[in-house]
Amino acid sequence: MTTSDEAVAVLTVEAPPVARERSRWRLALPVGLLAVPMLAFLTYFFFYPALALLFSSIQTQDSRGIIGRPFTLAHYARLINVELYARVLWTTLRISIITSALATVLAYPVALVMVKSRPMVTRVITLIVIAPLIVSVVVRGYGWQLVLQNGPKGMLNWILMTLHVVDAPISVLYTETAVVIGSLHVFFPMMVLPLASALGKIDPNLEDAARMLGAPWWKVFLRVTLPLSMPGFVAGFTLVFSLTAGSFVIPAILGGASAVMLGNLIEQQIFVVYDWPFGAAIAVVLVGLVLAVNGVSMWLLEGRRLRRPD
Amino acid sequence: MDERFSGFGAFILYSITAGMMLFILAPLLLVMAASVSDSYFVTFPPQGFTLKWYAKVLQDRDFLEAMRLSILLALGTTVGSLLFGVPAAFALVRGHFVGLAAIKGFLLSPLIFPALITGLALLQVLNKLGSTDARLNLLIGHIVVTSPYVIRTVVTSLQLVDENLEDAARTLGASRLRTFWRVTLPQIASGVAAGGLFAFMVSFDNYPVTMWLANSEYSPVPLVLMRQLVNVFDPSVPAMSTIIILMAMVGVLILEKLVGLRRALAA
Repeated sequence: MTTSDEAVAVLTVEAPPVARERSRWRLALPVGLLAVPMLAFLTYFFFYPALALLFSSIQTQDSRGIIGRPFTLAHYARLINVELYARVLWTTLRISIITSALATVLAYPVALVMVKSRPMVTRVITLIVIAPLIVSVVVRGYGWQLVLQNGPKGMLNWILMTLHVVDAPISVLYTETAVVIGSLHVFFPMMVLPLASALGKIDPNLEDAARMLGAPWWKVFLRVTLPLSMPGFVAGFTLVFSLTAGSFVIPAILGGASAVMLGNLIEQQIFVVYDWPFGAAIAVVLVGLVLAVNGVSMWLLEGRRLRRPD
Repeated sequence: MDERFSGFGAFILYSITAGMMLFILAPLLLVMAASVSDSYFVTFPPQGFTLKWYAKVLQDRDFLEAMRLSILLALGTTVGSLLFGVPAAFALVRGHFVGLAAIKGFLLSPLIFPALITGLALLQVLNKLGSTDARLNLLIGHIVVTSPYVIRTVVTSLQLVDENLEDAARTLGASRLRTFWRVTLPQIASGVAAGGLFAFMVSFDNYPVTMWLANSEYSPVPLVLMRQLVNVFDPSVPAMSTIIILMAMVGVLILEKLVGLRRALAA
């Protein structure tokens, strides 16, 4: 290499990275400072309030409504020991688990068709799955109220009776089943999207190989597709579970008095009974539940057990 | 159809998929059908055709006031979350400092925190501060829950920006600000717009935070609708709902044009 070549090389290849590296170092601080307003805002209006809520859950409220000492865990004990409240906790867990399990079973076929069909079909399915996500939860709850309406004038009952599946109208509205149906509708996209993205990453050769070696379709699914799509499943299940457990609108509209969930109990304690410490304790339990499920799924996703050999 | 699906497996797959599409669309279609149905009570199958419920809704003071308030709140939230979120996204992508991952996790944490609890926690603190202006409280609450969406979409689009173009502009003598305006911003514009639209839609529909921070004087649309649903029987509810569904559809179409829906949601 001649000297002039070297000069050219330095000018065209090496100079920019060096310059950029230096400017990066000089810029490191100012660019980082751009995050400060957001950090300050969230610290003051999100992080601090969350801690304050945690704190008030171990405080006591006197007869004048003033919250303070002594510190106590009585509110947590109350949630578990009073049968009425414990039942709400179990209802919440049951509805969240059933909804996420149902979402999983129903989302696999949809995600598979979404990933493997012709572009036109994929596009239509994606739009139908995603579009309602943007429609207000209140409106969607209302839609289900109309569909599930008890009595012969409801859509579901009309269909069932016209097809002679049942002779008399069935009552679905204001039951746990109605809440599961509504939650499934609202959070289904949260299951389909991660599943579709996980399924899309699977090397089709692996499934073809299994098929060519004589595996029937269900065996290909159980032994190849299902294990390889686990990251999508875990992410989707976690999302649906967390969102369902923390929901308020759907149980309020579709569950009535027979399917009260933690969110509704919190609202009642704060707005009706004005029991802030107890309301805060229920909130902390709900957050704990959601964070625990998220923690387990992070552990599963980041541990080797679910990672594909790339 | 695809040759990879065949026989009984394909039959199950397509039946369930078709069933789910029906399941997703049914309640929305029924609401729309009910909004033009002539009978006072919602019955199935819908009877007759009328637009009188829409006429009623468009004269309903409470609903119009709620609409105005929701739109103003959503606009304010959009501006606020962009002002906070875009610079933060910049810092996350271009900054080189320790704890970057932790800071990113912190900035996105309102996403996994139940919004219902975010609102409650905020209500308690705002009460203590003596902040009784529902409009301001709602704005703060909505910015908290929408800013992660802005950060996510802007981070994604910033990662796609070719830094060489910025270097070229700088080499040719452009100042940092000019480089940002003329080179960087045009490249992330659709991401910023999508983030803003997301913030608008999330704010417009938000119930779990709004529920805590609104008062009887300032009730945004989801609250008014919920009240009509739970407390009084009002046959114009389907018409109000349909207006909201149509607005959401326009939002979805714009979002799809801007960045593609799947990318906007799954980033």
